[in-house]
Amino acid sequence: MIQCRNRRAAALAAALSFPVLACEFNPGAAELSYSLNRPVIEQNQDLARDAGAQAQLAGALEMLFGTAASPRFLAEPEWIEGGFDPNYWGEDLVKNDDALRASLEASNRATFAAQIAAIEAGTFDAVARPRHADDLWGWWEELKAEKSGDAAGLKSEGIALFAEYYPSLRASAALYRNQCYHCHGAEGGGDGSTSAFLEPRPRDYRPGKFKFTALKGKARPRHEDLFRILAEGIYTTAMPSFRRFSDAQLHGLVDYVRLLAIRGETEILLASFYEPDEGLNFANVQENYLDVVSKWRAAPEQLIAFEGPVPESTPERIAHGRALFTTPGDKGGANCVSCHGEGGRGDGPSVNDPKQSTDDWGRPIAPRDLTRGVYRFGRRPIDLFRRIYAGINGTPMPEHIGMTITENGQQRTMTEDDIWDLVFFVRSLATHAPAVAQHGGGHGGDLGGGH
Amino acid sequence: MSHAHAPTHPARPLGIDPPGTVHTTHEHHELGFLRKYIFSVDHKVIGLQFLFTGLVMLLLGGLMAMAIRWQLAYPWTEMPVLGRLLFPATGGVTTPEGYTMLFTMHGTLMIFFVIIPLLTGTFGNYLIPLMIGAPDMAFPRLNMLGYWFWWPGIACILLSFGAEGGGPAAGWTSYPPLSTIEAAAPGSNWGQNWWLLSLTFVGVSSMMGAVNYVTTIVKMRAPGMTFFRMPLSIWGLMIAALLQLFALPVLTAASFMQLFDRVFDAGFFTPTGTVINNANPETLGNAAGGHPLLWQHLFWFYSHPAVYILVLPAMGFVSDILAVHARKPIFGYKPMVYSISGIAGLGFIVWGHHMFMSGMNPAVGLVFMTATIMIALPSAVKVFNWLGTLWGARIHLTSAMLFAISFVSMFIIGGLSGIWMASTPVDIYIHDTYIVVAHFHYVVFAGSMMAIFAAIYHWFPKMFGRAMSEKLGVIHFVGTFITLNGVFYMMHQLGLAGLMRRTADPYDYATYAHLQPINQFISWCAFALLAWQVFFVVNFFGSMIWGRRVGRNPWNACSLEWEAPSPPGHGNFDKQLAVYHGPYEYGVPDAPKDFVPQTQRAHA
Amino acid sequence: MAALKHFLLRVVVTLLLLAVPVLGVWTFTEADRWGLWFPPIVSSYGASIDKLFYLILWMVTVTFIGTEALLVWFVFRYSKKDPTRAIFTHGNHKLEMIWTAIPAVLLVIVAISQMEAWTTVKMNFPTEGPYTPEKPLMEVYASQFDWRVRYPDAQGNFTGADVIEVPYDITVPEDTKVVLRLKSRDVLHSFFVPTFRLKQDAVPGMDIPVWFEATEPGSYDLICAELCGWGHYKMAGKIHVLPKDEFDAWLAAKRAALYATD
Repeated sequence: MIQCRNRRAAALAAALSFPVLACEFNPGAAELSYSLNRPVIEQNQDLARDAGAQAQLAGALEMLFGTAASPRFLAEPEWIEGGFDPNYWGEDLVKNDDALRASLEASNRATFAAQIAAIEAGTFDAVARPRHADDLWGWWEELKAEKSGDAAGLKSEGIALFAEYYPSLRASAALYRNQCYHCHGAEGGGDGSTSAFLEPRPRDYRPGKFKFTALKGKARPRHEDLFRILAEGIYTTAMPSFRRFSDAQLHGLVDYVRLLAIRGETEILLASFYEPDEGLNFANVQENYLDVVSKWRAAPEQLIAFEGPVPESTPERIAHGRALFTTPGDKGGANCVSCHGEGGRGDGPSVNDPKQSTDDWGRPIAPRDLTRGVYRFGRRPIDLFRRIYAGINGTPMPEHIGMTITENGQQRTMTEDDIWDLVFFVRSLATHAPAVAQHGGGHGGDLGGGH
Repeated sequence: MSHAHAPTHPARPLGIDPPGTVHTTHEHHELGFLRKYIFSVDHKVIGLQFLFTGLVMLLLGGLMAMAIRWQLAYPWTEMPVLGRLLFPATGGVTTPEGYTMLFTMHGTLMIFFVIIPLLTGTFGNYLIPLMIGAPDMAFPRLNMLGYWFWWPGIACILLSFGAEGGGPAAGWTSYPPLSTIEAAAPGSNWGQNWWLLSLTFVGVSSMMGAVNYVTTIVKMRAPGMTFFRMPLSIWGLMIAALLQLFALPVLTAASFMQLFDRVFDAGFFTPTGTVINNANPETLGNAAGGHPLLWQHLFWFYSHPAVYILVLPAMGFVSDILAVHARKPIFGYKPMVYSISGIAGLGFIVWGHHMFMSGMNPAVGLVFMTATIMIALPSAVKVFNWLGTLWGARIHLTSAMLFAISFVSMFIIGGLSGIWMASTPVDIYIHDTYIVVAHFHYVVFAGSMMAIFAAIYHWFPKMFGRAMSEKLGVIHFVGTFITLNGVFYMMHQLGLAGLMRRTADPYDYATYAHLQPINQFISWCAFALLAWQVFFVVNFFGSMIWGRRVGRNPWNACSLEWEAPSPPGHGNFDKQLAVYHGPYEYGVPDAPKDFVPQTQRAHA
Repeated sequence: MAALKHFLLRVVVTLLLLAVPVLGVWTFTEADRWGLWFPPIVSSYGASIDKLFYLILWMVTVTFIGTEALLVWFVFRYSKKDPTRAIFTHGNHKLEMIWTAIPAVLLVIVAISQMEAWTTVKMNFPTEGPYTPEKPLMEVYASQFDWRVRYPDAQGNFTGADVIEVPYDITVPEDTKVVLRLKSRDVLHSFFVPTFRLKQDAVPGMDIPVWFEATEPGSYDLICAELCGWGHYKMAGKIHVLPKDEFDAWLAAKRAALYATD
């Protein structure tokens, strides 16, 4: 009887102490897996019915890019010979650039200040596990095991390990899963669970179409372009600044976003080569892959470079910019007025034209109200210059360089100087505070929005 | 005890038989099952309906709390058991908007569907007529309607889960413009409309109850039952009902204003030119000229008194239970009544302390601060009087008593931490941190919920004619007491470390990075707390069937409900009642037993 | 056997109730060691707020220990099986007066002692010095889900092409009374800097001045403290406090960087 009672008491005590014991418990991250680009598959009815070909497509993609839990590029031998390994794309880029490397290290030293201090103090077991850096932790544990007994070596190499940290694709995928997945989706399709409620929708990386770059035409974005978006966010959209993560982590996210984009674009290409009778055309796999990667590698060449200081803004140049801005296209102007309106408030006549107010993703889009001084990809003159120069990919905002205009009865193409004049005019419009609600009798036009 | 008044018959109220009348006519009148158990007008059946429904809602709200705790312990990992149910699209991983929905619904369910209905709906209905010696409520049909108006409320709140974008996600406080502009949050689509409709139905339900309680208490007391001979439970319930009568219309109006904002773009709470999430300005229509703070004023004008609706009846129950099981009169009956009234009165002029940081004129904050700090005074008086009651008592450690004692112990914590929140400068730092979460959970869970458990253990014999198992009750108490403190106590320190509430994943902030282990501990305590309630469920349902049969007065208590059979039949009392003294004549010297029921003349 | 069981129950209940004040006070004394205490103070008025917290903490602790100790003792002492009856009393008027009057006086003292700190933080804005509510250092715009701060252009205008707009990072000078104007673009947000002991909601349609004086260079978390939607937890910022000369250099560099062409 007494024993039975003791046992019961022990069971009760055990049950009550389980919160303490349970603290050791650590669930793994949820498995995330890539699925195929459904809309693309559905476009081709034969492919949509052909489960075998879909499996082949998924297999080909896995061969090239690995799995969601363990993503990687299939590195072509000639790339490696040429000193290019896509698995270290960002890392090589950052570490070969002195300024970037220095800021990476400074950011790492700030992020891992506690860890580095512990290593410097020689208290190696007090080094806390950093969040979102499982790879770094693994390397550190390895190093600790390797250098056991060699405190000095562990100290110097340990500090270097933390200070020079650059995340692996795998760690970046985990961070993506944590921070980006719910909007951008597992495959970067912009179709995460929250995406349906955002305006504008999160970017679908897969068609290779990115709005905000410093590049000409429809070039794929550079590493720096994507990094800037992550660091600064896109004002007036749900894309926030992710500066609270270290530079290394943001670089890593850029790497992973690039992988997803290349993967998605390759997938679309492969699907387009599907023949109902032959199945997936495997001969094309490598070719398409090389093609897409080369587009991304070529991006930096497309930079809209401008040497020297920003030209002086003069009343004459602003007046010229105004003329270009307000003259409709059929009168030989730059036609900005048709969307942005006479006063640049984003209320031009084409706002009511469904074709002119829908973007490539089929979403309604409004021209920017330029009086607010809110620009989504930077407010520096050079940013506006590039925006007007190249337009905004996927939107009705066209490329202006080389656009045909008529002035003084003469037809000519628009030059960089014309674009600067437009920039100066646009800058002169920014006279209002960013759209902010107010009490009392406001006016209906005081509304922000825009693309 | 010679001051007992001679019982006098009040006028026959409202066409209902005078209180204390023996109802023999009803016994021959058999009602069908539907009229007897479903659409019953009997206050006892309605009370039990509230009890069962409320306990089911408690389970729902509790499961949501578990989901919240999982996310805080292991953010963005697959949630076992519940995960696939709540978030099938992400394979059981909480979504950010899902998290906001979870804490919104947890708060809404627990306040409007658990604590208020359990305190006022269940015990208000069950106890008021029995304790004042009335055959039923003043308006039995209105009473039934009160319960059945709760159901559309439940239906609406459950429907909101299925709305596009999920359930409402603007917090249980539902601050505009987050709640009024559809584009502002996924949960501000139809989910928010359902939420507002639900609140309105629940409000109407509470209103019907409140009218009934006040009328019944004022008009239908048994002969000799003066106001100052009423048990403190009745005082608590009556003051809470008065609070509802005065405050609920404001909430109902505010809910409608918000609904109008959402459906007709009325713009009560929306400032001119609001653009959220780049929603097409046209969808905002004429929304203009409003002010978000207006909602906060209206909402808290109701919801702060509502906090006292959540606790005053609990204080009453605890006072009664302490006296019965301590075999001693309540210490300072009148000061207890005055302090209940004082809390209620002050409760109407302190709503602004929820808005210290809101942008409200800071000078007004000083006024609200002073009023709020003064509310600690009646609360302290109550605690001192409970301690006075226990001094020199003969305590029986029954389950009911254990829960009642723990209410006192926990209420001290919840009450004292309130002083920090009341103090405006300190509130600058702790406003909306976990110390606030700790504070109101100590009052509402460790306080009111424990009082509800105490009341269930105490009045279960009256409700079902059988006693609950004391052994299981004690086990239930021990585990609940330990785990609940495990859950809520460390939240104070989390708050001091600055941790914000309603944050789905705080650990990416340098300030909060080290707080995850504590949150894991809290979460496991929470899981244990929920699991431990198995002892209660088994005891509750098991005792209905196998419990020890008891007579009319198993606790040897003085108040009137114990004069009726257990369970009481239709019409409650089978004998004429007359009340001679207050309800706390325990340990009376020279009396034959250690208690003198209210219906017996006290010994000189 | 029954007597033993009763004794055990008394002991268990007493220990449980005793654990509340003992563990309760213990966790407060240890909290600092677990990192569960206030972050350091780096604002001029932070200490006055903490001082008030500690004032209340002491009062609360004494009351807490006192009442809980009485509760524990009464429950243990008076749950003894005793055939005699309880002390028969319905209360004591004098006692009621005492325990109403003393807390009342103490609470009034608490209330009065709070007022100065509150008016300092929320009402008495700097009237002289480089920054005043009329001439703030910056405007802070809160929106779903980030913080943007605008510094004026060289002429002191907050609108126009040359204003400086920075996401996430807010840079301010040390040892200077800084005034900012807080605005919201969409829903409610709250500007919370734990190390400054500063919190203020941002309300759409309102333009609320906020002031602080940072006393220590460094980088401090800025946290949104009012539910602002699904991404509330993401709405982070950082406040960088720089020595005055470094701040001026930083601002000048920022102005120059506006015209960079990289």
